Amino acid sequence: MRIEKCYFCSGPVYPGHGTMFVRNDCKTFRFCKSKCLKNFKKKRNPRKTRWTKAFRKASGKELTVDNCLEFEKRRNVAVKYQRELWSKTVEAMRKVEGIKRKRQAQFIFNRLKKGKQLEKEEAISEVKKNIHLIKAPHAGKAKVMEEKMVQKLQDVEMVDD
Amino acid sequence: MALYNFKKIMVVPTSKEFIDITLSKTQRKTPTVVHKHYQIHRIRHFYMRKVKFTQQNYHDRLSQILTDFPKLDDIHPFYADLMNVLYDKDHYKLALGQINIAKNLIDNVSKDYVRLMKYGDSLYRCKQLKRAALGRMCTIMKRQKQSLEYLEQVRQHLSRLPTIDPNTRTLLLCGYPNVGKSSFINKVTRADVEVQPYAFTTKSLFVGHMDYKYLRWQVVDTPGILDHPLEERNTIEMQAITALAHLRSAVLYVMDVSEQCGQTLEQQLELFNNIRPLFANKPLLIVANKCDVKKISELTEEDQACDKLLAHRVDGKMKGKKVHDVLNRLHLAVPAKRDEKARPPFIPEGARIGRKTMEVDVPKRKTERDLEVEMGDDYILDLQKYWDLMNQDEKYDVIPEIWEGHNIADYIDPDIMKNLEDLEKEEELKVKAGEYETDEESEDEEMQEIRQLAKQIREKRKLKIVCSKDKDVHGPRLPRTVKKVERKTLEKEMGDLGLDMTGKDDSHYAVNARRSRSVGVAKKRKREASVIPTSRTRSQSASRPPRDQSGVRDPKMAKQAKKLMKNQQKDMNRQGKKGEADRHVFDLKPKHLFSGKRKSGTNDHR
Repeated sequence: MRIEKCYFCSGPVYPGHGTMFVRNDCKTFRFCKSKCLKNFKKKRNPRKTRWTKAFRKASGKELTVDNCLEFEKRRNVAVKYQRELWSKTVEAMRKVEGIKRKRQAQFIFNRLKKGKQLEKEEAISEVKKNIHLIKAPHAGKAKVMEEKMVQKLQDVEMVDD
Repeated sequence: MALYNFKKIMVVPTSKEFIDITLSKTQRKTPTVVHKHYQIHRIRHFYMRKVKFTQQNYHDRLSQILTDFPKLDDIHPFYADLMNVLYDKDHYKLALGQINIAKNLIDNVSKDYVRLMKYGDSLYRCKQLKRAALGRMCTIMKRQKQSLEYLEQVRQHLSRLPTIDPNTRTLLLCGYPNVGKSSFINKVTRADVEVQPYAFTTKSLFVGHMDYKYLRWQVVDTPGILDHPLEERNTIEMQAITALAHLRSAVLYVMDVSEQCGQTLEQQLELFNNIRPLFANKPLLIVANKCDVKKISELTEEDQACDKLLAHRVDGKMKGKKVHDVLNRLHLAVPAKRDEKARPPFIPEGARIGRKTMEVDVPKRKTERDLEVEMGDDYILDLQKYWDLMNQDEKYDVIPEIWEGHNIADYIDPDIMKNLEDLEKEEELKVKAGEYETDEESEDEEMQEIRQLAKQIREKRKLKIVCSKDKDVHGPRLPRTVKKVERKTLEKEMGDLGLDMTGKDDSHYAVNARRSRSVGVAKKRKREASVIPTSRTRSQSASRPPRDQSGVRDPKMAKQAKKLMKNQQKDMNRQGKKGEADRHVFDLKPKHLFSGKRKSGTNDHR
């Protein structure tokens, strides 16, 4: 019993789901749903179809090279069953999964930081350009001027006195 | 080998048949329709084709005859001689020669007439030429009648000749007529030769086959030979002589001891001596036959003859040069002994055990099937008991395969704990280095304010865009100044922008607003009867008279003008039109105009 990977979207294909296509050169292609299969039949390249994992990895949107990803790998060496090894492996899997998630999230976060910077700059420029839409240039100035004048007069009076 | 061709010679037709076949073939296989009005090259081509086709047919058939019949020089001398004896070499060659000549003549005829046909200028001329050509060819064939008949007979006889292989082991039976040669062959082989009390029952050679020492032997039965010189011999005897002369075989000279054949022993011996030269180089055995009638004990002929021949043949072969070549290449290699160590042949253990088990019925180990039979219904197929694991008590564990969407088999690695440790160390380092710290800079108030302002700006812009899109003004637009701006809206807008709009009663716009209102009212009171109140906005100039008053002399005329205007509009109003320019048709195909029979009415109304 294995959870296979869909050829097109790299999603999990659970047992009893999806379809498999076998080509004349004996290469098998598994698909998780008919959407993937139809795209495949249309000869679309998964590395160019934006919603697939293959695209995301190929265009650097997700973590690709990392030690935590080396744990889940298909090794063609059969290992005889040992209870302790299996139980330890399950434990290790948990930990590795946690670390993997953290790292993946951090990767994406770092990628999106630049956007935040740009957003900030955009806000500043927007305000500079179009402040007149919400605030008249001389909005509070009249009153300030008046106060100033009043102040001046008072000063003058004071001086006179 | 020439042997088999004798049966595969094509039937030689008689001359009449030959002509018929060829002509009818020409008739069928070439186009038949030609008209006078065709182009001359077409007509010529048509007839030329017929001539050539006939020639081709004759040529093919005659060539086939010539190649099928064996050439006396090419076949084994035994057959050549036999054919000579039976069919006369000269006659045979002549017949074939005639056929060859006929073939060449036909070719020449065809060539000539085709050449002539090129100058035929009408259908009739060409047709005559063709007739002439075919006629000549057929006459040539008619003249070959004799040859063809002879060849047909030869062919029939040839195909019935016994297939004697001149090269294999043969036993040849010869002797006087009626001595018992055919009986012998009948006994020894499966041949069924006619045996009769009269002489010359056997008139030609017969072949039978027998087996001795796992080899096939031919036994050839000949017609009897009489004792007279070679020149006087007839065809039948000559066959026997030919066989004797050419076949390399063991000769069995059969003598009739009982003299039932009609010749005395002395006569038989004489014959034997006469034909002795023919026996040169052949193992010879004298057979005393019919000894049941007259008892003279003699050894059995068979074995001796065969052995003798075999020995003779082997001797012959050994003496031949060819054998030496083969002998040189034959060499039995035996490995030389290197030292005194005994090296017996090696038999692997498994083979030895296998052999043993085959010999003795060793009790085999208990199979699952046996167990199943024993336990009956309780039996459970438990393959896990054969598993070979590190700890035997783990055999019956339930092995997990999937955890949270991951295959455990992908993670299984003897070094996994080490790798995990490394990973965790790495992670610690990373955390220490601060990679995971989200640097959310607490933005200063200024930045927050800016953000808020930006948000407001964006909202305002969007609203403005939406408002402008909502206006939905198509066509010529009035300038902005036409619209009256309400004081309230102005003050509200400016107030939103942050300006102080309180106490603005003395402002310019407020004063103007009051003034315009009063002017309008005053004007209303001052109005004269003649002046018709018109809707005037401030934008219109007071000096220019409005259109419905310009050029109008008096109210009576104005009234009339208005009446005219109204009358004009009646039609449009009735039809629900917006104005003069409204040409909109509400119903392009009203049903009552397009349905039913065209009775009274027009296209516009019915």
